[in-house]
Amino acid sequence: MNRLILKYGRPLTAVILAIFAWVIYRRIASGDGIFPLVIAAVIIWALGAPALIYLWPRLTVNGYKRAILKHGFGEGPIPVNTLYAVPGTSSPSNPRGSLMATGADDLLYVGGWLDLSKGPQVLHVPDMAGRYFSVQFTDPSRSSNFAYVGKRATGTKAGDYLLSGPGWKGTVPDGMAEISSPNQSALVIGRVFVEGDSDLPTAYALAKQIQLAPLKQ
Amino acid sequence: MANALAWLSQSGVVQGLLLGAVLAFLTAILVMNAVGRAVTSTVNGWSAIRKCGQPGNGVLVRAACAKALPLVNVFEEAAYWTATADSSREALSGGRRYLLHFPAGQLPPHDAFWSLTPTDTAGYMVDNPAHRYSIGDRSPLAQNADGSVDIYLQHEPPSGHEQNWLPVPSGKFKLMFRVYLPGEAILDGTYQLPGIVRAQ
Repeated sequence: MNRLILKYGRPLTAVILAIFAWVIYRRIASGDGIFPLVIAAVIIWALGAPALIYLWPRLTVNGYKRAILKHGFGEGPIPVNTLYAVPGTSSPSNPRGSLMATGADDLLYVGGWLDLSKGPQVLHVPDMAGRYFSVQFTDPSRSSNFAYVGKRATGTKAGDYLLSGPGWKGTVPDGMAEISSPNQSALVIGRVFVEGDSDLPTAYALAKQIQLAPLKQ
Repeated sequence: MANALAWLSQSGVVQGLLLGAVLAFLTAILVMNAVGRAVTSTVNGWSAIRKCGQPGNGVLVRAACAKALPLVNVFEEAAYWTATADSSREALSGGRRYLLHFPAGQLPPHDAFWSLTPTDTAGYMVDNPAHRYSIGDRSPLAQNADGSVDIYLQHEPPSGHEQNWLPVPSGKFKLMFRVYLPGEAILDGTYQLPGIVRAQ
């Protein structure tokens, strides 16, 4: 659907606008008033355009949320608070339109949807022994990355990170760093570097160990 | 009630609502595209948006980024550049041959990796007989006598330079340059990727 809109966006827009022009022309020609039409159009336009711009990041992230929770990355839907590691890198054999199809061929991707409404989650990352990796947390209301775990942000040693939602007032267990999410939900994207084909099994084994679990009280 | 419905259908209010919704959608797209262009910096044909993904962005930049580069990393995590045109501003096409010339010591500075990936204009990789879909810091690139490195961007293998060959699709294509954990010179803007030059 998106690809169709991309491909035929301009002619489709021209056709739709032409239909509207014809409708307005017919109203004027038959002597009907066009004030109600124009006023309704201007009100919806003036409210709708800013609203769409404001909501666009949320609509975009929600598209990925649906893709994760309803379709997954080839092995079925991925439940909330579960991270799924895609076993292969991006290649031309990925189906067009799939989330993986436009990725890099030197990364393994990990994806999941975080829901903190029933309590905090703990992100576990294994010892990456210097290997590049990152876990990106994206705020669905703004589509901005509010936190990172990974080589740049936290180093490559094994670690556990407490992910808490707004208003959580518990105690952070010893040895854990807290990451406060501005929303009860967040999109999680992990990336693990793959040196080359022979390194793929090692990288995949590490990517699978990036996991979420509920905080044990 | 029946009167109100009749008035709604005859007065043109319903058509007005539909027209307003279509115009609102078009306006939003045009505004986001314009903001996207305004925050894009293009050097030597390589375009990047450095602001995307940052928590401090305002409503317009957030929307423009979500439209142009959804879910993109912050720039200090990964620098992304795209190119759709060569140094003479003509669209990249597999019918031509291009060179990317890095002067000695001028491959991109990084703390993780870099890679260059050709895709079709929609962003998808295209199969090629060499099964080579990117070239990067792990590629065994041959150096010229002066230490510089040439990457050959063309559809057919360049004889004698297969090692530095990056196969591109036969039709129009675009390039994606990724530098993960970009070095200081990229972050402060002093490092620039070389232009994509048509081979003679």
